[in-house]
Amino acid sequence: MDYQFSFPYIWGATPDLLDGLWITLIVSLLSIIFSVIIGVVCASLRVFHVPVLSSVAAGYVHFIRSTPLLVQIFFIFYGLASLGFGLSGFWSGVLALSLWGGAYNTENIRGGLSAVDKGLKEAAYSLGLRPIHYLRLVALPIGLRVCIPALLNTAVSVLKNSSYLQAIGVAELTFVAMDRVAMDFRTLEMFLAIGLIYLVIVLLLSTAVRRLETFLKAPFNTA
Amino acid sequence: MVNSMSIDQLAGSAISIKGLSKWYGDFKVLEAIDLNIDNGEKVVICGPSGSGKSTLIRCVNGLEEHQEGQIEVEGKVLEKDIKSISKVRAEVGMVFQHFNLFPHLSILDNCTLAPLTLRNVSRQEAEETAMHFLEKVKIPDQAHKFPSQLSGGQQQRVAIARSLCMKPKIMLFDEPTSALDPEMIKEVLDTMVELAEEGMTMICVTHEMGFAREVADRVIFMDSGKVVEMNTPENFFSNPEHPRTKLFLSQILDH
Repeated sequence: MDYQFSFPYIWGATPDLLDGLWITLIVSLLSIIFSVIIGVVCASLRVFHVPVLSSVAAGYVHFIRSTPLLVQIFFIFYGLASLGFGLSGFWSGVLALSLWGGAYNTENIRGGLSAVDKGLKEAAYSLGLRPIHYLRLVALPIGLRVCIPALLNTAVSVLKNSSYLQAIGVAELTFVAMDRVAMDFRTLEMFLAIGLIYLVIVLLLSTAVRRLETFLKAPFNTA
Repeated sequence: MVNSMSIDQLAGSAISIKGLSKWYGDFKVLEAIDLNIDNGEKVVICGPSGSGKSTLIRCVNGLEEHQEGQIEVEGKVLEKDIKSISKVRAEVGMVFQHFNLFPHLSILDNCTLAPLTLRNVSRQEAEETAMHFLEKVKIPDQAHKFPSQLSGGQQQRVAIARSLCMKPKIMLFDEPTSALDPEMIKEVLDTMVELAEEGMTMICVTHEMGFAREVADRVIFMDSGKVVEMNTPENFFSNPEHPRTKLFLSQILDH
């Protein structure tokens, strides 16, 4: 029990941590955006029972949810490379996290779309709007609002799970901490530091999304 | 009246239904319906719940698929593919029991959504048309509010205006006043009467018998998926032929 906790050590590691934080933010941001896009597309295929593609989407969701994320990351980074489709660690990471988040968002958004009042579909159709118009102009704007809390949940998970990418050498926050620990054995300082950094970005993300939700819900609330 | 009748006859059929049958599983909801509705004609359909009256008008714009028979709207046979159905639907307005306004859009945007998407019009044109019809249903001052901020009667009048913005040739009303508080029924019926007076072809599923008397050219009584009786309002109310019609009328009029 003679471990001496050192704040100056954390201070000294700040430039490295900021580099790692930057990569974490970029990877997460890209993955969150792609995962929402994947979710919108796959949920729409499911809700409209598009032949063949609906089953493909269902299989994809099932596969992602039933296998560990780390296995998926290794499969994409090492597996695809051995097939000749090698991607850099960064883009392997973005792809893996996007596919992972996309599967969860498919279910989130499917829930949101199913919550849209069936009467609105009939109203849209009776005006002559086609299914694609209904989806774009009515179902998604309403359904996405409904599932914002679930989307936030998945976005937070994507951000936190970006730490798995240290396993394929992406120099994100956790990788930086591991790297410093391997050199200086300052485990407590580094893991506390990155823990706090994750906590703060998740808090900021949650607050931003909650603001967005309040803003988007404004017209509904007056009922 | 005589004058408009002759114009109607010249103009021909707005809707022609031949041998229409529909099943839900084993249950036959519509049984060999034959019905012709002329341009400008107003038809009221009534009957007990489950008699198939809503299903019938929902078949006219393809919201329900039918298994047998043929429906022609404005001379076009209703096909099963979504493109041709959508074209027919754009000519046929529909008003629902529960209004079904788009809750995330302002009243004005509710009215301009379909024209902006389907017709080749500018936003300004679409908004002018929308304001014209919102004035017609007497709520232009609510244009920038959201549906949840309006009363039921106002919402239903917006729903009528929204349909009219597509300049339909036919309007279908599916129990438009059934979900309204009694004091809001009149404002919606007044709007519908006005529309009828302008010569719109209308099919209304309703139990508002006062409206039927005032506006309808024909009243249809349905029971168990069949047209039991079809007559002018005078004859329908004063001299119903079928015992089932008599029973129905005695139940809804005597209280």
